[in-house]
Amino acid sequence: MPTIELVNVTKTFNEGKVLAVDNISVRIEHGEYVFLIGPTGCGKTTTLRMIAGLEEPTKGKVLIDGKDVKGIPPEDRDMGFIFQHFEIFDHLTVWENVTFGLEMRGYDDDHIVKEAEKALKTVDLLQYADEYPSIFGNPGLQKLGIARAIATGAKILIMDEPLGSLDPKVSKVFRHELRNLVKDLGLTAIHVTHNQEESMAIADKIIIMRGGKLLQMGSPYELYENPNNIFVANFLGETNFLQGFVLKLFENEDMKINIRLGGPELNIYNFGKKFSLNDNIIIAFRYEDVYLFPEDYNFKSSQYDWSKMQLFVAILEVSRFVGATKRFYLLLDNGDKFVSVKPGNFEESFTSGQKLVIGIHQDDIHVFKAPKDILYELSLS
Amino acid sequence: MLKKNQNLKEEYLKEELKLPLSLKIDRFFSKSIYRKSLDTIVIIFFILVIIGPIINIFATILLNIPSINKDVFNNSLLGNLQWLNILSALGYSFSIASIAVGIDIIIAFPISIILTRYNFRGKKILDALVDLPMAVPTSALGFSIMLFWGIFGINPGFTLILLGHIVFTFPYIVRNMKIVLEKTATLYEDAARTLGAPGITVFRTITVPLMKEGLIAGAVLAFTRSLGETGATIILSGLVETAPILIVGFRRQLELPSASLLAGILIAVSILLLFSIKFLTRKVGIPVKSVWPRIERFLSKKNLRYLRDALTLGILFVVILIPAFYILAEIIGEDFIGEVFLGQDYKWVFIYTSFVYSIEIGALAVFVNIIFGIPFAFIITNRNWGKFITFLDTILDIPIAIPSAALGFATFLFWGPVGLGLFQSGFFMILFVHIAFTFPYMVRPIISVLESSNRGVEEAARTLGASNMTVFRKITLPNIKQGIIAGCIMTFTRSLGETGATIVVMGGIRTIPVLIVDFVEANAYASGIFASVIVIIFSAFLIFALRAVKKKGG
Repeated sequence: MPTIELVNVTKTFNEGKVLAVDNISVRIEHGEYVFLIGPTGCGKTTTLRMIAGLEEPTKGKVLIDGKDVKGIPPEDRDMGFIFQHFEIFDHLTVWENVTFGLEMRGYDDDHIVKEAEKALKTVDLLQYADEYPSIFGNPGLQKLGIARAIATGAKILIMDEPLGSLDPKVSKVFRHELRNLVKDLGLTAIHVTHNQEESMAIADKIIIMRGGKLLQMGSPYELYENPNNIFVANFLGETNFLQGFVLKLFENEDMKINIRLGGPELNIYNFGKKFSLNDNIIIAFRYEDVYLFPEDYNFKSSQYDWSKMQLFVAILEVSRFVGATKRFYLLLDNGDKFVSVKPGNFEESFTSGQKLVIGIHQDDIHVFKAPKDILYELSLS
Repeated sequence: MLKKNQNLKEEYLKEELKLPLSLKIDRFFSKSIYRKSLDTIVIIFFILVIIGPIINIFATILLNIPSINKDVFNNSLLGNLQWLNILSALGYSFSIASIAVGIDIIIAFPISIILTRYNFRGKKILDALVDLPMAVPTSALGFSIMLFWGIFGINPGFTLILLGHIVFTFPYIVRNMKIVLEKTATLYEDAARTLGAPGITVFRTITVPLMKEGLIAGAVLAFTRSLGETGATIILSGLVETAPILIVGFRRQLELPSASLLAGILIAVSILLLFSIKFLTRKVGIPVKSVWPRIERFLSKKNLRYLRDALTLGILFVVILIPAFYILAEIIGEDFIGEVFLGQDYKWVFIYTSFVYSIEIGALAVFVNIIFGIPFAFIITNRNWGKFITFLDTILDIPIAIPSAALGFATFLFWGPVGLGLFQSGFFMILFVHIAFTFPYMVRPIISVLESSNRGVEEAARTLGASNMTVFRKITLPNIKQGIIAGCIMTFTRSLGETGATIVVMGGIRTIPVLIVDFVEANAYASGIFASVIVIIFSAFLIFALRAVKKKGG
């Protein structure tokens, strides 16, 4: 049963001048569909290429089924690889493309025909077997790329931005097909993308990388709900960040701190992190977790338990209707801005310049110590 | 862990047993030891055949300073006459090359625009005609030019050499300009026009700067070709002696020290030229700042444009195309049957054997250069040897840059009786020289397809289980086929047309361009015309084949 393990893997280029992957250790279980995501240049593709044998690690080990694969060339690793730019052999027919890997393994003709037909049927291309790939557009080429990779019967499937060259609408449909295929064939799959939405939609597990380092690994839900740093919070989903400082520590309840933003004071949980008085902090909360109420809203009349809701006042700058959602751009006393997203059918209509009461649930607010380089932490690259 | 790794390898070895033989052989030769050995062999070949003679000639000059001094500078009979000859020959060569290239550039600008930006009937034929002088042996061209201008009373001498050099260097410049123009979209030009720039201003400020690199590359190639040309020049020179002609003369009179010195100077100057131009390309700017809207708008008027185009085409035909192929018309007036076939001296036998020699040498040069050229192109594009690759890449162009007569003489000194003593003048020596000067013509097109081809498919093939050699055979080779064929045709036509290098090392053997020179020198015009026409027709076929290949390659 194929498992993939990276042990302290480091990769440098140009005689150590460029550090592409920095001491990464990961274990991928059999049958898992794992996403490797991060901004361009974060080392995700290099990591993938080391697993496939297209690069050798500078330090550390790659284990496949527990065996060190150092020095084993890509052709002997028995993996399927799907490329962003398809890399279809355009001098060969569709059929010859799909049988290529089978021929390389020296299978007999019956087996080759059977497996190639099966793979082409899976992606609905069997009727084009005798054509040259030039008849296809991007989706067709990528289907052929998939058929070619799975035809060999390899149990590990490696995908480098497989949906990156498709137009957004096509790729949204395609990604579910891709997941079904991987699950039906029982493959262990690694999928590299810089598209966080894609990974949230279909991953079993997500690994987030930045600057060659592994930042966080977990299920989409874990990462979304409990990002362990500012970058992860920012990368997955739409997140507001506000600066503030610690105003009060609740001595007996070490789970709780009181902070002051530009204007409002909030009581929030510290999620087990240690803070001291006057520490500069950053709080993060999702656009969709910001509730809006008119200034005169009567909270007592509602049945809801408001005790954990942090309420404060902000001014509505402007609101925009964007089809499925409505976006509200809000302003604090000190000029800090944040955003609230509501469904498109959100009924309350507020006017620009109106004072609103903002509500955010304590549990939805994540707090981080203010980093040295705040701009770097907040940039998505 | 090592032990487990061993087990895994053994598993794969077991798997390998059931592979078909061809894949097994591929896997065997994919081992890095074979790749390294091949790299080593190819680089040794490159150094021996191409660099060796050049280093050797400099060494020879340094070791023979006394005899050079005695022969060239302080000759007991002639004083420093030889040195004065050398200086005057160099002067002629450089002034002819500069003037010819200057005139070519002026004609080539409008022609390359007409051939890329206009659409008209007969464009393809015109395009092929413009390319053709590049493929025809220069001695045949020179003969044709001599006959044509002879009608107007222009006799062999400086002017006629110049007229000849304009003709055969012209295609190199147009070709390089065209390549750049075809690559750059008309988008920039359209944008400039929407901003209100008249045609001429667009051309001057947008198109010309875009063409800069093509222009310089073409000009360098044309300049070096002119500097090194022998075949046509012998026919057109009369009493004027250019540098390659002087080398041939020295070699004929066995004045080896003088020949070494001149060949050395030519080689050194050409190499300097090559390097400085590679360096300058990046630095030279084209002035685009000033605009003269009124004048340029007036000059861009439709009527003036037609007039300009008509004038350009007129010059193209009168100065280049008609002189180049006038010889095809001459054949009607000549009694070539009487001279070639019925004469006492069986001239047709000479023509036939020379033609066979030419084709044999061309074919063998192609064969050897395919074997060494493909791996060499791979070394340049694939190996990450840093500065060494940049070095190899630069010196690869040396055989193109240096006059072939000088390279021929250097090769003669290196392999011949004076040097290693491995070969006598004759067939194999000719072959060696031809391999040397055509090598870049084979390698360059392969490098360019390798660089433009998608290397990702090779990785894809490896992840599918193909070993290095299988990838090469099944994926890379089909993808670079066009480049290889283009390289073969270029190599063959250059070998077929070469005179200078051949004369220096040929011994008793005659190739067809040399035979044409001999016929002209012996006043056997009808035979010369007959041989020239045959070789022009043959070259035309090659050019059309090259175009068919290029077209297929998209």
